[in-house]
Amino acid sequence: MSSSSSSSSSPPCPKKMITLKSSDGETFEIEEIAALQSKTLENMIDENCASTPIPLPNVKGKILAKVVEFCTKHAEAGADAETLRAWDAEFVGVEHAIVFDYILAANFLEIPTLLDLACESVAEMIKGKTPDEIRKFFNINNAFSPEEEEDVRRQNQWAFE
Amino acid sequence: MDSLPDAIVQYILSYVDNARDIAVCNCVSKRWKDSLPYIRRLYFPRNSFENNAGRDNPDNVVWRMIASIVQLDELVVYCPFSSAGLASWLSLVSSSLRRLELRMDNLAEQQACLETPSKLDCIGAAKDLESLKLWGVLMTCVPKWDIFPKLRNLEIVGARLEGPALSSAIQACPNLTSLLLLGCEGVRSVSIDLPLLEHCKLDFYGLGNCSLSLTSPKIESLEVQGCSWIRVRETNCLRNLSISNNSGRVYMVDFGKLRALEFLSIRGIQWCWDAVSKMLKWASEVKHLYMKVEFTGDYEALQPFPEVDLVDFFNSHPKLQKFDVHGAMFAALCQKNSLKNIDTAFTIPCLEEVAITVRSPLNAEQKMGTLESLVKYGKSLKTMVIKILQMKSSHSSADDFFDEICRFTYMNRKLVRIE
Repeated sequence: MSSSSSSSSSPPCPKKMITLKSSDGETFEIEEIAALQSKTLENMIDENCASTPIPLPNVKGKILAKVVEFCTKHAEAGADAETLRAWDAEFVGVEHAIVFDYILAANFLEIPTLLDLACESVAEMIKGKTPDEIRKFFNINNAFSPEEEEDVRRQNQWAFE
Repeated sequence: MDSLPDAIVQYILSYVDNARDIAVCNCVSKRWKDSLPYIRRLYFPRNSFENNAGRDNPDNVVWRMIASIVQLDELVVYCPFSSAGLASWLSLVSSSLRRLELRMDNLAEQQACLETPSKLDCIGAAKDLESLKLWGVLMTCVPKWDIFPKLRNLEIVGARLEGPALSSAIQACPNLTSLLLLGCEGVRSVSIDLPLLEHCKLDFYGLGNCSLSLTSPKIESLEVQGCSWIRVRETNCLRNLSISNNSGRVYMVDFGKLRALEFLSIRGIQWCWDAVSKMLKWASEVKHLYMKVEFTGDYEALQPFPEVDLVDFFNSHPKLQKFDVHGAMFAALCQKNSLKNIDTAFTIPCLEEVAITVRSPLNAEQKMGTLESLVKYGKSLKTMVIKILQMKSSHSSADDFFDEICRFTYMNRKLVRIE
């Protein structure tokens, strides 16, 4: 496959595909146009490093499959904003541990749309909870000393009334 | 969550803007507490301090939270506050704050022009604001503002204003692109001279007799409620125009050529005929026309519209695609020449959608003629919706008319429906 063209536009030509390889050895094909949503992949494609399967040691196969799905969906022409929003909401309507994996993958691959979507959905999970609830939900280690905890609690007392 | 890098945690937390949630997040863990100084937006809902045991002054709580943030872009405060409090907050963030939204809540105050700096005056400290939105404002004195050179968007909702104070406030914002004044009373006359203004929405309460003069050559969208006298000379970019008046009579309109106008809406109880006919004349390129003016007449007496020839009307609005005819216009449409004399080349080329309100059975034959002509000459017509309101007379003519409309609807059932 020639790597000189940067975007395919005429339907009769076969769509240019990129192959990605996850940390656990699975390979995934993604259309070049969809892959361009990742700045990391875009840079690689521009520098002509995209002909061999691209190894992504930071992303597991299970997550990479979903990232490919996200990018492909968002590269679709003519999708109306409302339908896409609904699709996005469903995409992140999963266990928060998986959303964190999306965040890490989106951060590594520099996919701003996915990063924003996933971070915003985590923020939604935070809203309205008490500190204890947040810690339990996200399995967060407190790390305050007892004096520090009392101090910070007192400073923010108004939020607990 | 603990395995995410600090930058990610900060990014996630930047989506939390409710001050109460932020205060809670402060208590979750040391790492979260250390991440919160990097949020950019802070929002205090109306009920933030409702259950405050009185220990902590809300102004101070807000101050402490703002003080802990490195660079605050946006501050939204709906809970009550004092001008001293506001001054103290803005002195912390005057260099970074871009967007400010405040519930001022001083409409109930009777006194104007107190000695101490008013809340409005204090806002002047945030010199780099790009957007300012105020709710419940009393602006009877000229606010002590210098200039907001970066202010693009100004919104005032629910206000009591005096003309000079308003003019002065607008003059302090010379680079506005969007101006909204909604639910404002006390204005008699306003003159707006803003070279970059593109969107303007004005809604004036009261007797409906405000005067407006607008000089903004880039204006694209203008909505005005409550004016009887309107002058907008530079209109080369104007695409959407909506003029309505629920309480007074519209008697003078003075617009430049409306070459770019695509949407025109004129509504009200009474418009002088001169004003109506001028608007229709200027809006020759319009694609969507919404008319709901109930009466005309130059004085107190409410008059029906004079006749409007159907052929002339559609010939002078050749691009019309969507036509909403409510109020008195439908009754006025007629064919001054008889149907047989209409030039065979006459068509209504672009009209696709028509919505009509029918109220009285007077001149039933003329009205049926109009409906039939619309269908006959409207080559592109896709839908016609006929709304039938309470017919005034219980005369049999009302029933006859209704029957006629039903028959017409049935004969053109692919296009027409009754609501």
